Amino acid sequence: MVMQPTRCSDDKPGDPSYATHLAAFEARVARGDKVEPGDWMPWDYRQQLIRLIHVHANSEICGALPEGGWIPHAPTFKRKLALCAKVQDEVGHGQLLYRAAETLGKSREEMIDELITGKAKYSNVFHYHAKTWADVCVIAWLIDAAAIVNQTMMADGSYGPYGRALKRICYEEAFHLTHGYDMCISLATGSKVQREMLQDAVNRWWDPIMMFHGPSDKESTHTELLMRWRIKLMTNDEQRQTFLKKYLPKVFNLGLTVPDPNLRFDETEKVWHYTEPNWKRFLEVVRGGGPASALRLATRRMAHEEGAWVRRALFAVESGKRVPMPTAA
Amino acid sequence: MTTDTQWRVFEVFHQQSRGEPHIHVGSVHATDGESALLMAKEQFGRRQACVNIWVVPAEAITETRYEDADIFEHGTDKSYREAFGYETTKRARAIGDTKEL
Amino acid sequence: MPAEAVQTQLSPAVRAAVLDLIYRLADDSVVLGHRNSEWTGLGPILEEDIAFSSMAQDKMGHAQALFTLLHELGEPEPDANAFLRTTEQYRCCELVALPRGDWAFSLVRQFLFAEADRIRFELVSTSSYTPLAHLARKLHGELKYHVMHGRMWMTRFGKGTTEGRERIQAAINIAYPYALGLFEPTSQDEAIALHGIGPSESTVREQWQGEIESVLREAGLTLPKDAKAVFGGRVGKHGKDLADMLESMQRVYRIDPSAKW
Repeated sequence: MVMQPTRCSDDKPGDPSYATHLAAFEARVARGDKVEPGDWMPWDYRQQLIRLIHVHANSEICGALPEGGWIPHAPTFKRKLALCAKVQDEVGHGQLLYRAAETLGKSREEMIDELITGKAKYSNVFHYHAKTWADVCVIAWLIDAAAIVNQTMMADGSYGPYGRALKRICYEEAFHLTHGYDMCISLATGSKVQREMLQDAVNRWWDPIMMFHGPSDKESTHTELLMRWRIKLMTNDEQRQTFLKKYLPKVFNLGLTVPDPNLRFDETEKVWHYTEPNWKRFLEVVRGGGPASALRLATRRMAHEEGAWVRRALFAVESGKRVPMPTAA
Repeated sequence: MTTDTQWRVFEVFHQQSRGEPHIHVGSVHATDGESALLMAKEQFGRRQACVNIWVVPAEAITETRYEDADIFEHGTDKSYREAFGYETTKRARAIGDTKEL
Repeated sequence: MPAEAVQTQLSPAVRAAVLDLIYRLADDSVVLGHRNSEWTGLGPILEEDIAFSSMAQDKMGHAQALFTLLHELGEPEPDANAFLRTTEQYRCCELVALPRGDWAFSLVRQFLFAEADRIRFELVSTSSYTPLAHLARKLHGELKYHVMHGRMWMTRFGKGTTEGRERIQAAINIAYPYALGLFEPTSQDEAIALHGIGPSESTVREQWQGEIESVLREAGLTLPKDAKAVFGGRVGKHGKDLADMLESMQRVYRIDPSAKW
């Protein structure tokens, strides 16, 4: 039932043919050729990709929760429709990404089980509460902006199915970003209550956003190998700089401030200097120690368990019957 | 806790407009073909134009292996199969035919 | 047709009948759309989560279009109309106001509603009130998908495991009396039919009964006997569920109704 596309077995370092296979594999990747599901790949490449895509997929379906909780409260038809469509897209992205990971030999069911039992991680930013409507606006704008930096880069990575999923995801994220920016503009140019609400949200979300791209290059362990195999094409710090360069001017342009006294742009080096995020805290958060971690997992677990009867009930259905069509009125 | 109740995988093919070919756009988990169609309609057809969808059980697809991609390579010159493999325009001119071939 | 022209053309009697019909359609749509949108991100499988969310968005979009028709008749603009009216002013039926419950309930409610919705808009597509007829024709494809979706799941569950069939059957037993409330006739029922604005509720009910009975029979599911219709929604008599829902829906908008969100 579960796809095991591994027709070529992977080798680990030390296996007799590893060196020969690896040389051919790395030459292909260096040429910019894509790796497809049936190809030989180093055992580590497969494991790293599964880990990465799995966490990405989990982040999409957990990311649907803080914003999903605000669909009922969205003011105006336009905002309600757009927010619902955005959260729906996130579920859709989860679907695409779990599917991409499945081509590497791990089933969606298994991945969701690991998520709801706390064995698999998801993005740090979804371990926090979305407390006000302005939080929804800031998430849709700045977190999606940060995600676009990451995903645009990853879309050009070496694994074919992941790249294909990411191209479609990036296309849809463009709508999320516009929707988010549009909402932030409304608040920033609105009443005093609206402006304060937005500034308060930025203040609370700034730390998690600065941590979004992951630990500093000085601390990140996997980067070198991931870059050689073109799983990653930019380091965490490079992604953070790209994000800051593009979006900080827009944040300031809205009359907002960010809560970092050390933040300044270095004109000669062309980089933003900032207070180094607390990476110890980051690790605690992604391991389930964030303010909303328990709630997120409980909600996902509830959704999965309450839907279990549906999956069970139709597991064995093999109906070739056509869906009956309404008779013309 | 894993009890595998994962539904089958169906590959999804989209036709943007009449006259165009169906193109693979992704896959869905579904119980059967008809329900796969209704799921695919929303997962893959909620934005782009579409007039027709095919779904095919993934296990029904037989594919070549990438390690056999060399079977598609040409061992010898096969340009005789192509229009560009001929200098006929030049030769036709030489015999007085200046019209398009 | 410009809004002014429409307004002046309608006699007070016709205008009252048109308003009555469109308010019911609009309120059912916004409330069901709201309830179903609560499932986005929480569905039983990812693919169905997406499909169900699309249908919720469809209903919300229908509501927006219907409130726009009302605005053209001189009623408040769509956001103000939906986000500021009180519970007693809403004219939706109680079926849509009920909380989402478990997925079996939400699915069955959506199935029962969609069957009526399609018939209603089909009959309204020849309405003498042309803006409404025009809108109804545009919604044809979306409503057809809603019906296909409901029927697909009913026939699958009916033929699936005992557990699934029993859950769906239990949901039908709960939802059916409320679904009958969809057809609660209002004081304008005769006028609506008389002026060719739309069908009388008994006409819709009769067609709906035939459609759902044949689908459920095919699926091996049944309707509860001697069900008593839950009326009241069409005259603004609602339970606590709608009041709670509207409080939740209108909360942010009401922080500052004059603000641009």
